[in-house]
Amino acid sequence: MPNFCLFDVGSTYTKGCIVDTDQEIILAQASDFTTSSTDISIGIEKVKQKMFKDITVHIDKTYVCSSAKGGLKMIAIGLVPDLTLKAAQLACYSAGAKVIKSYSFELNQKELDEIENSNCDILLLSGGTDGGNTSSVRHNANQLIKLKSRFPIIYAGNKSCQDEIKTQLEQVGFECILCANVMPSYGILEVDECKNKIRELFLKSIVKAKGLSQLNEVIDEIVLPTPLSVFEALKLLSKGTKNESGIGDLIAIDIGGATTDVYSMNEKLVVNEEFGYKGLQEPLEKRSVEGDLGLRYSASHVYELKTDLHSTEFDAYINEINNNPHLSSNIELDTQLASTCVDIATQRHVGRLETSYTPMGISYYQTGKDCRNVKQCIGIGGPIIYNPNARSILSQCLTKPNQKDILLPIECEFYLDKDYLISCLGLLSKQYPDVVIRILKKKLEKLNHV
Amino acid sequence: MEKINVVIGVIGADVHAVGNRIIDYAFSQAGFNVINLGVMVSQKEFMDAAIETNAKAIIVSSLYGHGELDCRGMGDMLKEAGLEDVLLYIGGNLVVGKSDFSEVEKLFKSMGFNRVYPPGADINQGIEDLKNDLKEKGIYA
Repeated sequence: MPNFCLFDVGSTYTKGCIVDTDQEIILAQASDFTTSSTDISIGIEKVKQKMFKDITVHIDKTYVCSSAKGGLKMIAIGLVPDLTLKAAQLACYSAGAKVIKSYSFELNQKELDEIENSNCDILLLSGGTDGGNTSSVRHNANQLIKLKSRFPIIYAGNKSCQDEIKTQLEQVGFECILCANVMPSYGILEVDECKNKIRELFLKSIVKAKGLSQLNEVIDEIVLPTPLSVFEALKLLSKGTKNESGIGDLIAIDIGGATTDVYSMNEKLVVNEEFGYKGLQEPLEKRSVEGDLGLRYSASHVYELKTDLHSTEFDAYINEINNNPHLSSNIELDTQLASTCVDIATQRHVGRLETSYTPMGISYYQTGKDCRNVKQCIGIGGPIIYNPNARSILSQCLTKPNQKDILLPIECEFYLDKDYLISCLGLLSKQYPDVVIRILKKKLEKLNHV
Repeated sequence: MEKINVVIGVIGADVHAVGNRIIDYAFSQAGFNVINLGVMVSQKEFMDAAIETNAKAIIVSSLYGHGELDCRGMGDMLKEAGLEDVLLYIGGNLVVGKSDFSEVEKLFKSMGFNRVYPPGADINQGIEDLKNDLKEKGIYA
């Protein structure tokens, strides 16, 4: 089996590693500041030089995942906020996209203006179950054709009117891709086809539009948006393959400067069969993105959410961050901000247990995912892996005594993706799934009680 | 022709599932596409499901006697949501302590329900009524 050179081009750092798929080891790994504002390939070259400083090895293929230039920016449109809009958002997230705007019901002029100026990469239009409501998607398509800007539109709404909507959008010069309804019948979520279409579009047009194709000279393929690469690696690690067992249910948290991503991989949606399930079925493999939780660009918002942190020293620090997002870290204060990010992001990610006192006794029903039995939590990304208090930050994902209705893990082992391997190895998840699992099992660092 | 969508469910904190399954079965057999929300369904769930599925009728069940409280404001809410054309039916053991059904019927009709059924009503009557009411609206099931 060959050797691979893998890169993750991010907004702050470019990370790289060399994998020997025969011996199943990492031969080298390095990182450097990103050069995405100028020429991304310079950053890749730098990382390459660092990696090849001490070793000589033949490289067969070079792959890259990228979240540079703002990542994959999408707009999600649905009908009812808790149903098709939520389904559309889940589809975008599971494809590794960032949802920059979401709209429900019928688009008005103000929302149309926002879309016009949003600079989005792909728009996902949904609404109505198959055979259900058609008026909202028809209205919204009629609004979208008034736009001057052009971007690919994926239609994943009621199938009854998909052809007329495709024709209508294409007549005015939109590229329109049809795909299966994200909610074909009430409460049923169907995101796989949509996820694939988003990925195809990312490769076909977005990579070019973002000037990433200049990379083609240094690498063989831009395979995935970074969050999707992470998603695929975590899914493999959790589920395993027929040759290599997975580690079971897990939750993973990636705190960035502007956002906090939470991934959960579960075997079952409803763990306790006595609970009824309500609302939209959530995916067993789920990614959520909190656009208001992060350590730099979103720091002041995180600080506002957590009033018990407030102090003069902290006020000053937040001010400094606002003036200079590249400010170096105050470990103690960043720990508190990061803990808040984990606390809130995981609470939003998981489901709830509602208790009803009925004349027939107590009844329970669940909305969203039940992660109480998740026993493993993985920390990803610079702000967590370089923080000496990583364990205490990650432990914020555990259930709190007064919040038993929030279905967070009860107890966990904590792990760190110390060498930035998850995002890079995700690139090999299709070709060498067994190798990816085995390397991750070896290389994830377990955090012990301090 | 596409089947007509009908949303059904047991409202409030009521967990009586047997009648719910009978309604599901009978209306499906009669040619409707039934979206069954199950037991312990809130007003909002009925509304959301009806919007997405473009349902022509909502059939609410209530067996535990708190139906009046659970259904308060439901007709108005559906009007606000643009669902004023959706037929709203209810049946079951709707209130505790009132034996005169005509009073119960009057009460629920004033709350926006088109049809109200007493305990032990014939399900076939409900199906017939729905077909007739839809026909009156120019919709043929």
